[in-house]
Amino acid sequence: MTTSTLLYRPSFWRTFWTNAVMAPRTSLGFMRVDFVIGTVFVVPLTQMVFFAFVVQLGGGGATEIAYTAVGNAVATVTYSSVFSVCQTTDSEKQQGTMEHLLVTPANRFALYFGRGLIPILVSLATVAVGLIYAVLLYGVSIPLAVLPALSISIVLMAFAMVGFGLLLGGVALYLRTSIILGNIFLFVGLLLSGVNFPLSSLPLPLQWAGDALPLTWGLAAIRAALSGESLGSIAILWGAVGLAALVSFGAAVTLWKIFERRALATGSIARF
Amino acid sequence: MALPTAEYSRSRSTYASLRLSVLQFLADPQWLVPSMIAPVIFALVSFELFRGAGPYYLTYAILGAGMMSMWGQTLYGSGWATGQDREFGTLEPTLQAPTPYIYVVLGRVLWNVISGLIGGGIVYAVIVLVAGGPPALADPLAFALLFIFVMVTLASVGVIFAAFYVYTRYAGFIQNIGEFAFYIGTGCMFPVVLLPFVTNPISLAFPPTWALDALRYLSIPGYQGFGWGFWVDLGGAIATTLAYLSIAGLVFHRVERHVLEEGNLSQY
Repeated sequence: MTTSTLLYRPSFWRTFWTNAVMAPRTSLGFMRVDFVIGTVFVVPLTQMVFFAFVVQLGGGGATEIAYTAVGNAVATVTYSSVFSVCQTTDSEKQQGTMEHLLVTPANRFALYFGRGLIPILVSLATVAVGLIYAVLLYGVSIPLAVLPALSISIVLMAFAMVGFGLLLGGVALYLRTSIILGNIFLFVGLLLSGVNFPLSSLPLPLQWAGDALPLTWGLAAIRAALSGESLGSIAILWGAVGLAALVSFGAAVTLWKIFERRALATGSIARF
Repeated sequence: MALPTAEYSRSRSTYASLRLSVLQFLADPQWLVPSMIAPVIFALVSFELFRGAGPYYLTYAILGAGMMSMWGQTLYGSGWATGQDREFGTLEPTLQAPTPYIYVVLGRVLWNVISGLIGGGIVYAVIVLVAGGPPALADPLAFALLFIFVMVTLASVGVIFAAFYVYTRYAGFIQNIGEFAFYIGTGCMFPVVLLPFVTNPISLAFPPTWALDALRYLSIPGYQGFGWGFWVDLGGAIATTLAYLSIAGLVFHRVERHVLEEGNLSQY
């Protein structure tokens, strides 16, 4: 064995692209037509229609229904960005690849960020399709002038949400299973992020909890962009979404480092 | 020693399947949680959306959330068990056993109905706690009995799904994608009459649609559901449930024969 073999360390970009390409086929389970059709085209439609009928039954008018339609069009992003990404930890444990992953010399940031690339793209598609449904079914207005601000808001939110999914995946490394965590954060945004009603109608502690979720800020930025608010006020929300993304990615990498050390020390954490 | 009769063998298989389901649940009861998170959150969201709409709207929230919990336990549980059998490699031996597979599934469905009731009870408790009191019910006993019957109607759908899950490798996809569509189609949180009229025949093909409409007629004064009223709803629910269970028996029989002929069951 030569010295160069012993010192071999894959480059940042090689690790990034390998994970970007491979993870959707393996632990993410994205590379399936049924998943793409379901996540991008079916779930946004059915979730939006469901809550629109609930609002209608509760006596809500066209404005309230449009509010709910936009909220749910955006909130369905959690399926691909948070739930699926969080579940990768379980998949690695179940498939018996976690131990191999933990001993690889690959750059961790490249590894996790690479895994998030396809979920970010799927998230963008999900929100775009959801908003098209909201326009077609509930008459939500999206003037051409707001498209640039809207696009930036959606892209920033997709990054923040995938970062949050990776963070939950890091927590799940310590847990026996990530399914409970995934289920909580798949739906909690519907209550705490201003998806179906303004956040201000909730008790103060729940509003604080909502403020800790990237979906809350992402959705606020998207709503602000749709209503044609000034760039200055949207920029503040972009800053909040960007901060949420940075904190999520940073915390995810830190958590994985901590639990990796623990896993290597105890030899038991990677078991399912 | 006399050989046990086929009936004895079948009931023993059902009992063994039920017992195993209970033991698996007791070994890891946390699995009740995932199927309850969504119903509790949906109920709280609906409660907020219905706030100020009237005292009986709490019943809509509880019924809808209870049904979602049952969906999670009954349909997910019934269908997922077949997928797990396939994954663990136990589907082929189970189908090769002398006992028809439906009796094994029946044991699982029985437990799923019971755990669905437990989940529904927890959802009810959470909503009552948040709302500050129970919903106004004219006849709580009849409500409870009919609520259990709604669970049975869901279980009948679960058995049919389980039969098709033997064939398909996309059970998870169908469950995840079909979840909201099923909630809408059966009107779990709102009356089906709110949906476009052309969709009503599809909704009426599902037993829970009839049972939920009957339950609302019973518990919500002035409820505007299907024009034919409570008793026809109840009759429709019983008839469709029996039809589902009969079809499930036939489908299971055919599915078993087919997969044994094809021999490709273990391909995942």
